[in-house]
Amino acid sequence: MLVLFETPGGFALFKVLDEGRLSNVEDLGKEFASPDSARKMVKLKAFDKFDNTSEALEAVAKLLEGAPSKGLRKFLKANCEGETLAVADSKLGNVIKEKLKIDCVHNNAVMELLRGVRSQFTELISGLGDQDLAPMSLGLSHSLARYKLKFSSDKVDTMIIQAIGLLDDLDKELNTYAMRVREWYGWHFPELAKIIQDNILYAKSVKLMGNRINAAKLDFSEILADEVEAELKEAAVISMGTEVSDLDLLHIRELCDQVLSLAEYRAQLYDYLKSRMNTVAPNLTALVGELVGARLISHGGSLLNLAKQPGSTVQILGAEKALFRALKTKHATPKYGLIYHASVVGQAAPKHKGKISRSLAAKAVLAIRCDALGDGEDNTMGIENRAKLEARLRNLEGKDLGRLSGSAKGKPKIEVYDKDKKKGSGGLFTPAKTYNSAADSLLGQTSSKSVAEDSVEPSKKSKKKEKRKNKEVEVEDEPEKEEESKKKKKRKKAETETEAVEVAKEEKKKKKKKRKHEEEETSETPAKKKDKKDKKKKIKD
Amino acid sequence: MRPPLRGGGGGGRGEGGAWRGRGSDRGRGPGGRRPGGRGPGGRGPGGRGPGGRDPRSKPGGRAKVGLNGGSKVIVEPHRHAGVFIVKGKEEALVTKNLVPGESVYNEKRISVENEDGTKVEYRVWNPFRSKLAAAIFGGIDNNWIKPGAKVLYLGAASGTSVSHVSDIVGPEGCVYAVEFSSRSGRDLVNMASKRTNVVPIIEDARHPSKYRMLVPMVDVIFSDVAQPDQARIMALNASFYLKTGGHFMISIKASCIDSTVAEEAVFANEVKKLQAEGFKPAEQLTLEPFERGHACVVGGYRMPKKQKAT
Repeated sequence: MLVLFETPGGFALFKVLDEGRLSNVEDLGKEFASPDSARKMVKLKAFDKFDNTSEALEAVAKLLEGAPSKGLRKFLKANCEGETLAVADSKLGNVIKEKLKIDCVHNNAVMELLRGVRSQFTELISGLGDQDLAPMSLGLSHSLARYKLKFSSDKVDTMIIQAIGLLDDLDKELNTYAMRVREWYGWHFPELAKIIQDNILYAKSVKLMGNRINAAKLDFSEILADEVEAELKEAAVISMGTEVSDLDLLHIRELCDQVLSLAEYRAQLYDYLKSRMNTVAPNLTALVGELVGARLISHGGSLLNLAKQPGSTVQILGAEKALFRALKTKHATPKYGLIYHASVVGQAAPKHKGKISRSLAAKAVLAIRCDALGDGEDNTMGIENRAKLEARLRNLEGKDLGRLSGSAKGKPKIEVYDKDKKKGSGGLFTPAKTYNSAADSLLGQTSSKSVAEDSVEPSKKSKKKEKRKNKEVEVEDEPEKEEESKKKKKRKKAETETEAVEVAKEEKKKKKKKRKHEEEETSETPAKKKDKKDKKKKIKD
Repeated sequence: MRPPLRGGGGGGRGEGGAWRGRGSDRGRGPGGRRPGGRGPGGRGPGGRGPGGRDPRSKPGGRAKVGLNGGSKVIVEPHRHAGVFIVKGKEEALVTKNLVPGESVYNEKRISVENEDGTKVEYRVWNPFRSKLAAAIFGGIDNNWIKPGAKVLYLGAASGTSVSHVSDIVGPEGCVYAVEFSSRSGRDLVNMASKRTNVVPIIEDARHPSKYRMLVPMVDVIFSDVAQPDQARIMALNASFYLKTGGHFMISIKASCIDSTVAEEAVFANEVKKLQAEGFKPAEQLTLEPFERGHACVVGGYRMPKKQKAT
């Protein structure tokens, strides 16, 4: 009988030398008390070593699912001819039996046997000492743990933190070197510094030019705009800088090379950072952008650490100096920190920046927690929240422009129902519909007023849409017309005007479907009839 | 053997708040210093360690309560090997830090300077958080977790107690920490990446065959799983991995096994179950005042009978 024993270094097959002792299960333990007696019980027949950790991980992972890996299958096929195999896992035994036609056995005796082998296996396997086994076991356990926890190496936030640190460093270095180029070359051609403001273009021009004498001959069209090129060529001729030798120019050129290569690398690094941010924290990126997101993570130490912070902290992350100073002196605390550079906050008007920064911080912590602790791989949550934030921004701005339709502040007060109430509509919510005598067709009306209205009518009619209603506000001096508007959704009170004014005022109010006007109608023109036709009309008395 | 008595408070977290951005840390160490964490101006030098090396004068010279930074303390070894007691205004149980300079779960660290100038760091072990510390505080007779031992720790959670066990067993010993939950497992793996004598195993302790390729025979099994069938789990693991003559320590939570029966009855039942599986319980003690309704049972496994002739 053979025993399959798995170690972190590989698979071992032991041959049981004395099968008779297996029947006495209790005493089996004693057989393995010392290495010598253990060797009398079992002998190492074959050992299949794992070549590297990944192979070990794969083999073990398959073993845990209850299936033998390819390596194990080959090993068993090679060595298990005609013998029964003792295994530690009955499921595995069944699969081996099926696939490889090797009989497997699993019972108490087998367990005791395995126990014994385990206690002595460093002795039994000569090539594997305790010292070798420990790091193998450690490595295998870490790989297995990572596999179980679905550790993905591209979701590590260390890269982000290092990348953003490097980006800042590069910027500083780039600036330093560019300034140095300007200063150095300015000895030879001082005017160039004022002509070309951009560092990279300056470096490119210097590299191309070398000595300013060459400027007239060369073509700068790829680097500079035409006017700038013309200016440059002009200034090169009348420059007051001194001559420099070729060796000096060589060094200046080298420095320019450095500047250009650094600039190129910085661009690459930025792309890398963007792609990493999208992998590590997609929701946060969708909400605040890559740069701000990376700075937040770097400031917090790690994504997980950042996820533990409340929204108010994230809001003022980066403004600690101002915060603690304000707290000490009992002044107002800062409203934004790193969050200030997010595009949503940038779009807001200055007096709304504080509010938006607070809302953004609140949504940002949700996004951070989603990224750090959730299982999702996409950025749907970030995009939704961004849309909400933008809507809120519009809302805030809209408030300044006036009341929105739908605002409760414009609605008239809802009155308590009182059946005995006499005033107004009495006990009715809506006033009772009465006959509007103003809608009567009155033949023979030839007042100037009617003429004016007739002329206005066609143009009004053309503007009529189903949702809009043109009304004329015409008022008569009739006391009964002075009624307040009753409660309906979104109405405005109409002013009553004197008749003298009314002709001049032909107010056409454009309404949306939810809004209503009520006003008094005069008993006048038939034209008014048309005004009455719309959904939410109500009649005033 | 007294460690030299030049106490220095080194409390807190060591690195000040100005250092940030240490990548995918455990996140407990340096990264926690954020606004609001301390009062105004508190972000300055966080570790008072470097400043606190006063030569030892009369003990208790400062009028500070507890183990604050800069106070003088004495460190003495405990009766059990690998564990120490720190005495200042208050006493605390500490273990020698295997990875000096790092806190695993933001616990206090104490740096003591030896006569020959070397610094030794200890970490405070909180008995309210760790059942093993509660048991040691409570005064168990034998602690089988000693330097150089191989320990199988069932129910490792985030690794707070496991880190202390790893401190005790030292670099020659090994701790095999089994934890099934993924959240805690991640913290455990992070902790284990710093300490090379901890082997993290993210598996169900009910199926010890699933980690048979990682664990050799061990000397001690410590179990803190809080499951109703913990005796069976313990027995199964012991039959695989606990050496003959090995020892076990199990923390029994009465309300977890059966909340309707009295505590003592629950403990007695569990002990009987253990005895049936070949364990020999040697002592039992309750973990009051640190935990309510808990008991710790310590004993041996398949102990060789003394009187039996070869």
